[in-house]
Amino acid sequence: MLTCREVVNSADHLIERELSRRQQLAMKVHLLMCRHCRRYVRQLRALLQAIPFMHSKASDSEVRDVMEHIQSHQSESR
Amino acid sequence: MEVREKTNFMDNATLHRLKAGDQSLFAELVRDNHRALIALAVPIVGQSEAEEVVQNAWLKAHQAIATFEGRAQLRTWLGRIVINEAKMQLRKRGRELLFSDWQSDEQSGDALADRFNRSGRWQSPPADWETDTPEDLLMREDLASCLEELLDAMPVNQRTVLELRDTTGFSFEDICNELSLSASNVRVILHRARSQLYKLVDHYEETGEC
Repeated sequence: MLTCREVVNSADHLIERELSRRQQLAMKVHLLMCRHCRRYVRQLRALLQAIPFMHSKASDSEVRDVMEHIQSHQSESR
Repeated sequence: MEVREKTNFMDNATLHRLKAGDQSLFAELVRDNHRALIALAVPIVGQSEAEEVVQNAWLKAHQAIATFEGRAQLRTWLGRIVINEAKMQLRKRGRELLFSDWQSDEQSGDALADRFNRSGRWQSPPADWETDTPEDLLMREDLASCLEELLDAMPVNQRTVLELRDTTGFSFEDICNELSLSASNVRVILHRARSQLYKLVDHYEETGEC
């Protein structure tokens, strides 16, 4: 029987679907019986899905700087 | 992951327009990805040179966008260009990343280690987060600023692996190749970075503070 700590250490692999069938089964058995670990895995999954959006969108001036840099380079090479 | 895929969701017709040179679409690509790419470059070349590296990467991306084949996500493709530019910048400056140092980096262990008792059971279980959908988590500006502070303070190895894997979508294999680290090292580093993020959000949910 896995401990909670082992479940937490393997939760990334569970979410990334990298566990063998036997390991998955061991995790599922533990999760059926442990609400804290169920909560941990559910919340970790949400967090991992949110991470790509941690960085806000660029401002108008940042976008303008990039586009002007590209345009000036294009006109130089013509 | 569904949300990860949405970071670069673009239907075929839109992608075709982007590849054909639609400048307004390219500007939107910049808007959606610029800050994530800066965050990717910072741990490698430092804050002061990250802007220049990403500017040069955008130039390369603009020149090469017609050749984008859609096998990777757009952000992953852009991230690869940034990594190449960052490495080139380091070479120009006669510097290199000391990846061997990363492997022995033990400055921060698992952030959740003290949450378990000796028998490995929770002694301080996770809080029940008020919102646990990805969209709701990010709607809260104060939490976003806590996360930003944490990322700034994160050890460089953790920050780089987290940005490569979780915000840019690199495969484990690509991360190992780019950083010359073993797969097991990358996984340990990533687990530590994610544990720190989890701990921060958990603390925030419990106390309303960073």
